[in-house]
Amino acid sequence: MVELSELENDALIEIFNIGVGQAAASMSALVSEEVRMSVPSISFISRADAARLLGSRLAAEAEAPDRICGVSQHYEGAFDTDAILMFPEDKSLELVRLMVGETVSLQELTDMEQEAMCEIGNIILNACIGTLANVFEQELRGSLPEYHVGTSDEILGVSGSEPDSVVLMLHIDFALDKHQILGYVAFVLDISALHDLKEQINRYIARAMGQA
Amino acid sequence: MTDVTPERTKTVLIVDDSRVSRMMARQYILHLQPGWNVVEAGTGEESLDKARAALPDLVLMDVNMPGMGGIAAAEQLRRLAPALPISLLTANVQSATRERAEALGLGFMEKPITEARIAQLLALAGG
Amino acid sequence: MTTVRDPSLDLLHSVLNAVTLGAVVLDHDRRVVLWNDWMSEHAQIPQQQALGADFLALFPALRGSRVDAAIDQALRHHFPSLLSQSLNKAPFPLYANAAAARLDDRLQQAVAVTPVDVANAPRHCLIQINDVSIAVGREKLLREQTLVLRSQTFADGLTGIANRRHFDVAIEREHRRARRHGTPLSLLMIDIDHFKAYNDHYGHQKGDQCLIQVAAALSGMLRRSADLMARYGGEEFAMILPDTDTAQATQMAEATRARAEALAIAHAHGGNSGVVTVSIGVATRSVASAVNIDTLIGAADRALYRAKKNGRNRVEVQTPG
Repeated sequence: MVELSELENDALIEIFNIGVGQAAASMSALVSEEVRMSVPSISFISRADAARLLGSRLAAEAEAPDRICGVSQHYEGAFDTDAILMFPEDKSLELVRLMVGETVSLQELTDMEQEAMCEIGNIILNACIGTLANVFEQELRGSLPEYHVGTSDEILGVSGSEPDSVVLMLHIDFALDKHQILGYVAFVLDISALHDLKEQINRYIARAMGQA
Repeated sequence: MTDVTPERTKTVLIVDDSRVSRMMARQYILHLQPGWNVVEAGTGEESLDKARAALPDLVLMDVNMPGMGGIAAAEQLRRLAPALPISLLTANVQSATRERAEALGLGFMEKPITEARIAQLLALAGG
Repeated sequence: MTTVRDPSLDLLHSVLNAVTLGAVVLDHDRRVVLWNDWMSEHAQIPQQQALGADFLALFPALRGSRVDAAIDQALRHHFPSLLSQSLNKAPFPLYANAAAARLDDRLQQAVAVTPVDVANAPRHCLIQINDVSIAVGREKLLREQTLVLRSQTFADGLTGIANRRHFDVAIEREHRRARRHGTPLSLLMIDIDHFKAYNDHYGHQKGDQCLIQVAAALSGMLRRSADLMARYGGEEFAMILPDTDTAQATQMAEATRARAEALAIAHAHGGNSGVVTVSIGVATRSVASAVNIDTLIGAADRALYRAKKNGRNRVEVQTPG
């Protein structure tokens, strides 16, 4: 598919870890509790493969295997992408409940919990893309978050991008108190966006090696 | 380990599982202090070996690493060398981080690493 | 100064001042350049005072807050931010009326901070504030109703009070709340004295009746909605008292002990009192003694054990940690 060199992979993982680290700090300030987040791995896969991966991985942990919550934001500028934060539905509710701090049943998916999830997505996605933008010294504009619930196919198809687009998938480990939640962030990229991204990463690596 | 060496050159140990991150830090350090030595380690465990061998004047320790982890490694280093300046590096700066660092006698610095931040850290080793 | 009035601009002005939400625009230096009537009314800050003022001068308490960070994201990165009412409790000092303002009874708010491009000027930022107080009230009502329903599945079959599962959920919730707000959380572990002897001599049916009576009497001691009385084990009960310090908890424990004794359930085969009594262990999690749940329960248990050792029908306190 898309092959990343070891250095490119390293650079991206480090950048995203910085992003989610900052997001964790913001979320911790909201709830006055310790929040930890990290990105152990990333991969580039087709949209179809991404949907399949999400369907099976998240299903292994979820109560309702086919229900996934996604919060998406569109970014454009130095490159164009739809960024989507995803959790199995029950995990997203667990996450919101941990953040909101009240006991609410799984059945109560109220507008307010959707909004809390939107804010969480907003914080995490802005932090990830923001760090990329800083590191690449580039300008990007973002949209307000949108909430979706559905199967992995539906969630990833929501962006309506071309069939030959690629998904940069981030595996996210989220920890609050004794609770650990696994989620994903997907960046949907078309060919030119992918090219732009690779170019930026390589400029960054060159700078790190003192060659820029 | 923290006795003043006769030459003006100092040694900084950078510990981070990201090679790009280590390269970046090395760049900045050598730009600010061209004569200094930079030693690298990719894991908490490796950092202990490298520290014993290189006897650094300053240690920069990434927190988020697989295996031993930055804080555990820093704790061990602290026990080996009570006066060695060790600074945790993390993007996730919250009060729990600050408190833990303080309790262990460690400094900390916010990521991303910039030259300005490295300059602040080098000052801890007298740079 | 121009004397020609642009009618479309007038219309926009009127609309902006008629909308039922707060609209504030900050320029690149975070100075207020737009402040609509809704803001004047609900922030109780007139337009003349707001225009040109630095944002943090108007709202000093928001320094370092999520709102502050969101403004930064909009101005520096061109990223919009959403502040949900669930995660951000009323960040702005906005009120329904002067009376509410005096009590600092704020409107519940949903806030969006978005970048705004302005021709021939660096980026500006728009802050929109929606009053969602009614929605929040409705959700609270929904939650209360659900809790009432849920209480039926969290109830102990015999005594009807909360069961162990309910206790586990409640202690986790209250512990988190105590930690978050820095308030004290007290736990009472209550055990019926010589209960095995009671069962042996009066039979299990009377034993059950005794449990039911004691549980009812002890539950009756609770005064606040967040207090919980649960059946923890066979003849053991636990009382969760949020926002209660050691002194208050000890007082409550003593009153509870006395109440149990006052039931005057005859017990010829246990202790000297001739009636059923309870021993109580008290422990409090406070900012000074910031322990986790297991440690708190352990401390209350140790206090209970001491109460038994020291003669039963008494209250003992243990500082955790």
